[in-house]
Amino acid sequence: MSKLIDPREGVRVLLMGNEAIVRGALEAGVNVAAGYPGTPSSEIVQNLADVAGERNLYVEWSVNEKVAMEVAAAASFAKLRSLCAMKQNGVNVASDFLLHLTAAGTRGGMVLVTCDDPGALSSVNEGESRHFARMVEVPLLEPGDFQEAKDMTKWAFELSEEIRNLVVLRSVTRMSHASGNVTLGKLSDARPKAEFKYDGFILDPLEGPVVSAPVPYKHTLQQEKLKRVREIFETSPFNTYAGPEKPELLVVTSSACTLYSREAIDILGVKDRVGLLKLGTTWPLPPELLKKRLAAADRVLVVEEVIPFLEENVKILAAETAREIGAKTFFGKNDGTLPSIGELNPDLIAAAIAKILGIDHVAMPPDYEKKATLMSFAKAPNRELTFCPGCPHRASFWAIHHALLMDNRLGFVCGDIGCYSMAALPCGFSTLKTLHAMGSGAGVASGFGQLHRFGMEQPAMTVCGDSTFFASVMPALVNAIHHRADLTVVVLDNSGTAMTGFQPHPGLKVNAMGGDVPALDIAGICAAMGAKVEVRDPFQLEETRGTLIRLLDQKGVKVLIMRQMCALSPEKRAKKKYEVRVDEALCLGETCGCNRLCTRVFRCPGLVWDKERKKARVDEVLCAGCGVCALICPAGAIRKEEVA
Amino acid sequence: MGTQTLPKDPFNIIITGVGGQGNVLASRVLANMLVHRGYDVTIGETFGASQRGGSVMSHIRVSARGAWSPQIPRGKADMVVSLEPVEAIRVMKDYGNEEVRILVNDRPIYPVGVIAGELNYPAQDEIAGALTDLSRHVWFIDATEEAIRLGNPILGNVIMIGAACGLGILPVGRAEFAEVMKESLAADKLEINLTAFDLGAAKSAAAA
Amino acid sequence: MEMTIMGQKELQERVHRAQLCTGCGACVNLCPYQVFYQDQTIVLDACDIKEGRCFAFCPRTPADLEAMRGRFFAPGDLTPEIGAVKGYLIARAADATIRRGAQHGGTVSALMALALAEGLIDTAIVAEGADRFLQQGVAVGDGAEVLKRGKSRFIAAATVAAFNRAAKGPAEAIGVVATPCQVFALAKMRMKPLPERDNNIDKLKLVIGLFCGWALDWRKFTALLAARTALEDITGMDIPQGRRLVVIYTRNGDIEIPWDEVAPIAREACGVCIDTTAEFADLSVGSARIGEPWETTRTWNQVIVRTEAGQALIDLARRKGVLEFRESPAGALDELKAAARDKKKASLEKIIARTGSPEDLIYMDRRDPVIRAILD
Repeated sequence: MSKLIDPREGVRVLLMGNEAIVRGALEAGVNVAAGYPGTPSSEIVQNLADVAGERNLYVEWSVNEKVAMEVAAAASFAKLRSLCAMKQNGVNVASDFLLHLTAAGTRGGMVLVTCDDPGALSSVNEGESRHFARMVEVPLLEPGDFQEAKDMTKWAFELSEEIRNLVVLRSVTRMSHASGNVTLGKLSDARPKAEFKYDGFILDPLEGPVVSAPVPYKHTLQQEKLKRVREIFETSPFNTYAGPEKPELLVVTSSACTLYSREAIDILGVKDRVGLLKLGTTWPLPPELLKKRLAAADRVLVVEEVIPFLEENVKILAAETAREIGAKTFFGKNDGTLPSIGELNPDLIAAAIAKILGIDHVAMPPDYEKKATLMSFAKAPNRELTFCPGCPHRASFWAIHHALLMDNRLGFVCGDIGCYSMAALPCGFSTLKTLHAMGSGAGVASGFGQLHRFGMEQPAMTVCGDSTFFASVMPALVNAIHHRADLTVVVLDNSGTAMTGFQPHPGLKVNAMGGDVPALDIAGICAAMGAKVEVRDPFQLEETRGTLIRLLDQKGVKVLIMRQMCALSPEKRAKKKYEVRVDEALCLGETCGCNRLCTRVFRCPGLVWDKERKKARVDEVLCAGCGVCALICPAGAIRKEEVA
Repeated sequence: MGTQTLPKDPFNIIITGVGGQGNVLASRVLANMLVHRGYDVTIGETFGASQRGGSVMSHIRVSARGAWSPQIPRGKADMVVSLEPVEAIRVMKDYGNEEVRILVNDRPIYPVGVIAGELNYPAQDEIAGALTDLSRHVWFIDATEEAIRLGNPILGNVIMIGAACGLGILPVGRAEFAEVMKESLAADKLEINLTAFDLGAAKSAAAA
Repeated sequence: MEMTIMGQKELQERVHRAQLCTGCGACVNLCPYQVFYQDQTIVLDACDIKEGRCFAFCPRTPADLEAMRGRFFAPGDLTPEIGAVKGYLIARAADATIRRGAQHGGTVSALMALALAEGLIDTAIVAEGADRFLQQGVAVGDGAEVLKRGKSRFIAAATVAAFNRAAKGPAEAIGVVATPCQVFALAKMRMKPLPERDNNIDKLKLVIGLFCGWALDWRKFTALLAARTALEDITGMDIPQGRRLVVIYTRNGDIEIPWDEVAPIAREACGVCIDTTAEFADLSVGSARIGEPWETTRTWNQVIVRTEAGQALIDLARRKGVLEFRESPAGALDELKAAARDKKKASLEKIIARTGSPEDLIYMDRRDPVIRAILD
């Protein structure tokens, strides 16, 4: 039985941050959860979906984050408790609804869990979601450890119901994907009935219509709610202080930086000199609590990821209350003490504190550091990112990049988000020439597709995954067709949302809870929109390339669906289609006529270049048996045999 | 086997390898063993893109004093359990010191740059040389080979966990391993996992 | 001028991107990295081999012309204007059907068909029309197939690419009909510049060269034609003697295109070519100039015999009655030499204009005796 639904109160278990959040939501009696896969948030909706049956939940992988937030909001309007979870970029996608949602208010407790990715460990940006809380004027909570991740989530629902508005809980990769001890609480037995009341007086928050108008009234109400929250936050157990009453340095921190800061203080042995004010409630800031701690120190170091949200809010408060608390010297990002990019760690913070206090601190003896760095450089070869063996994208981009070269008009591909984002790298033959947000490839390419009137002859292409297609490409496609752009769209249909863990999407017959659902047909949709549509198997390299060359030559919007299942999908993994081996007698290797096409250019991890024998060979363990390499070998040395 | 107290607090273990080797699973097992003994454990991991052929590291902080940074501070690893040889060298660059106990599974997984013929993968004795230069306590374990003999390469991780315990430094051992395994495995699988554990423990106990 | 053999990168920089590529196809089908597509040589992926056959075989990379002449021809036969002349003839296919299916006298078709029939070769590489009015090289095994492919479209066919492909297969004795740049590439191959890795060049038994002034850019030419007629209706084309135009024969009649419209759409690389008579072939064949009305003249070829293999084939053709001959008018050979010399000079001057230096002829050696004879 999943420990997430373990009924034993008081038991201590090891939970991942995201699991702790799930447990907190279950203890709060969440009824509905919706989201869109996005690292580092995906486990939240996934785990809730896994226990949906036992806990009587409705859990959905929505088509995109905006709709996910809307689905969760509906539940809240019907007096249920709901949660929506997404990575930082998802909040951007949902932001217009978020603005109106928080202006109109909620009913059943609703929590937005946002998982940011400082350091862009699994993103192509390190954007911030914290600012949204300030901007749409709702409370922001940030758990500082795993117990808090659970406890805060549970409490967030209560807070949301008290103020009848959304509460934002912000996590980061190093919290969401890290694990720690959590003492379990009691699971909720509540089984509320969904009911949407709307006939009451127009201004009645629980029984009137749910609207953000009249704006002056609603906005005033929203700000009053926030004032109430400020009071509540003054005494919140999630804000803690450790250290001397009059510290030489006050560290103000939140989120995962709490653990880093605590450790930094421990490393330096300065817990009698440095005070650590850990804030779990970071918007709005509790003014009295902050004034008290700020007054007791002259120097303040604010520690956070990524941009100085907390730092600037603290400084504003300090400026407003300067007469009471005195002038302060602030350290943080704006003065360069801590980096303004990337994630933090105990060493960066220890270095900052050491500098401020004038302590000599060396993390690693310089000789050892030099030696270890040299060793690593010389003896630990870099591991570049690549597509898995058998990945359809390798074959797709092989065909795409060749087709563009043969078309010979300097055509290019606008990329999108997914495993295939890696096609900007050599593993995808550096095919992508722009890369932004989900669905942006099609939008940007549809813009390029209008520039022929300014003399641009380069054909524009875009790629997107099957999941991305539904999430945000469709409107861009409508735009391109309606405005008669010249554009070739390639949909890389590998039957799943692969990069984030193979979640389902509207193109599949199964949903998050394993239920049977209708699959939407991408080809049919594109044809209905008015695009010219063709479907190919990317493993048929020459046919695919030929089709692409032909389509590139045509005007208007053309959609080529490259359909082949992801190598990691359960069906594919179960069995190899081909046994593949290299006939050494035929292998040309490094000689003119081949020059290691399969290992040097195609670069599938299943193919190994044997430097001793100067021949290529197949790694049977890694090879996925797709047989595509057999098609590209100029000597016909790669042989494939169908497995019975 | 195992000591009752931690040699230091927090005690820092890194389990490292290549995406897809079962790194995460191994760290969970070891961490749960420690939780069963009442310790506070913090695990820090890197998921996502690192699965597509990249290096994977799990940082395990063991403490009686609460949660710690999911990332071990620079130079502060106490034990490195490396499921792949060069990954051990890689982690020593940021987290190493001369007292780290390093256990290395000797089976290489070649990076794409190596199999493409562009980068060099060092020979075993070169790797051993580099590691013994960086730490006084290095042991190579033929975990994958033994695991294949037992019937499943993935048991290599269990062998390495056994080896980590077999050093006699950690406050956990076979008993905790069996407890944790019973919670998640079918009864028929338990036997082979215990065999693998014992195999690993014996190897490191002999070498230490 | 350095004679080093280089690689793909230099080939791209110094030939493809320098507007020197003639589309001969010598660098294609040796490896997966180059293709010839829609009238262009395309590099699909980067190859870092330092000394590549692509560079070595390319007719636009440095070559030791003297060494090559010494290898293939008798020194007494050599002329500076038109290469080796063992013999000069006016000839045509004896069979009128063959002539009608050919560009002019059908000499080339007849000789290739003969070579196949007699087993001198088992495969002939000739150019044929492909879709969208492109040209491609194709390997055929019997004379009838050769005869079907007698007409010209004035567009480059990457004939040497077809040779490279055929040479990898079961063919043992290959004959090629080729334009001067293609002939030169084949001659470079015969020199075996990279002996450990030739492309089965010993299978090449016979090269019949075509006189050539230029090839036209496919894209521009088809645009020009499409403005005047449906491409499918075109049955042939020619440049009648003495008239400054190109005649397009269609099912609905003849179309004349003034020379001034055609000249600018020649492939840029052709503008610097110094070989109008395919000097490195066994035999070279062009349209005759015999002082008769065009209706008669167009059915005859002028033939330069250069090698013993070429001579043997002509003798065989004479014996078998496959070709018929007539006397060449006085001065015809001189006229040919004069025209060839003019083109050499014009091309060399174009190169000098490009480089800005009379000593820098890009891929040609200023000290080569033939070039000195033309320029000094």
